[in-house]
Amino acid sequence: MIALAIVLSIVVLLLSVLVAGLLRSHADILKALHDLGAGVGEPTGSDPHDQSSARASGPQGPISVPLTMGPPLPGERSSISAPTIAGVTPSGDALAVAPSGSDQLTLLAFLSSGCASCAGFWKAFHRPDELGLPPRTRLVVVTKGPEMEIPGEVTAQAPPGLPVVMSTEAWGDYEVPGSPFFVLVDGNSGRRIGEGVANQFSQVAELVRRAQVDAGEFAEGSRGQPHAEGLDGPERELANDRELTAAGVLPGDPSLYPSSLADVCPPDVGDPRPNRTPIGMAN
Amino acid sequence: MATLRAHGIEAPLPGGFEGRIFMRSSIGEEAPSPVAQFATFALPEEVGDFGGGAVTLMGADDIFTTLFEFGPESLGTRLFARQGFPRSLSPDNFLPYVLRRGLGGQSGTQWFFTEAGRPFTLYVVLGSHARRRSLVPRVNGLLANLAISPSPEPSLPSSARWN
Repeated sequence: MIALAIVLSIVVLLLSVLVAGLLRSHADILKALHDLGAGVGEPTGSDPHDQSSARASGPQGPISVPLTMGPPLPGERSSISAPTIAGVTPSGDALAVAPSGSDQLTLLAFLSSGCASCAGFWKAFHRPDELGLPPRTRLVVVTKGPEMEIPGEVTAQAPPGLPVVMSTEAWGDYEVPGSPFFVLVDGNSGRRIGEGVANQFSQVAELVRRAQVDAGEFAEGSRGQPHAEGLDGPERELANDRELTAAGVLPGDPSLYPSSLADVCPPDVGDPRPNRTPIGMAN
Repeated sequence: MATLRAHGIEAPLPGGFEGRIFMRSSIGEEAPSPVAQFATFALPEEVGDFGGGAVTLMGADDIFTTLFEFGPESLGTRLFARQGFPRSLSPDNFLPYVLRRGLGGQSGTQWFFTEAGRPFTLYVVLGSHARRRSLVPRVNGLLANLAISPSPEPSLPSSARWN
């Protein structure tokens, strides 16, 4: 019985020491947080966000800790701009690609030589005829620079004839969260019109096709072709016929022969605009 | 401004330009030499030294420029007697018959010179001779900041390899 009491006393003593240590550690952490200005509440009762009171408290006051989320973008850039990508090739030559200012789409594939999910894309690029990209679409691979990638590994993965730019700066410019990542740039507008990730390249190709169709529809729709091009007479009629046929309105269609105003503008008509597939990739 | 830098050539690119600086593959005993190409349109992967395969893709507002280094045997010859890079060209320097490949509407100019002890030729093609007055300032914007340094020492290969 006495032995049991002694053992219990020792256990209680050890637990007390342990709890005291934990409390001391917790106090140290709270003190460190308080010194960094991240304490909850303020012992002095002042507003923790009040910078003037913080300054007035002198060296004992909270220290402001600047929090940044990566380098700020230069003023002339925005989240849709498409700056020129300059870097080196895996063989050490210099290469710069300007996705803006051309009349084609540029698909930028941000890949790494070591990432497992990139392997399928590298493999797919060895069969360019099977990629399924629409015409006038330029494919460019962008890896990080030689300081973060092994050029030899990139060379081993990249197919001949495919432009590969090694540029860490480009990953920052295009705000790439990780690899694989794809960005589609419309050369005419000089803007990114889609970005995101995919598991297979066929998914990317399909999204590029949709974006290209949408971009074309928008360009044609906003141009007002017959008037802008000064068409008249039979040429104008022919252009109108083409537009109607493309919209599914064939000769003899009832909509071409309205008998009343209600036939043209039905009272319960909703949004008359055609549905458009949103430009962009799943992200 | 994006900057290309390789093989002793540095080229800050004005907006709308892209380019490449690479070592031309040697033929026979010929020593490989650097070539720099700049364009305002998408350069295809395979382009001849003087724009073969690229100039046919040019629009009226496009520019193609190549900077081609010759071997050291050309140093001191009369062709390369001009010292210094032509930094500013004039619309009058461009003529339709200077083109290596005569394409309707285009015009070009070619200069031979020595810079930093290296013999070069500069060849510029404009997409439209008629628009040369608006295109030449853009060419000058590119040439103004191009820098050529003395021949770099042969560098070690970037990766280990057996002889």
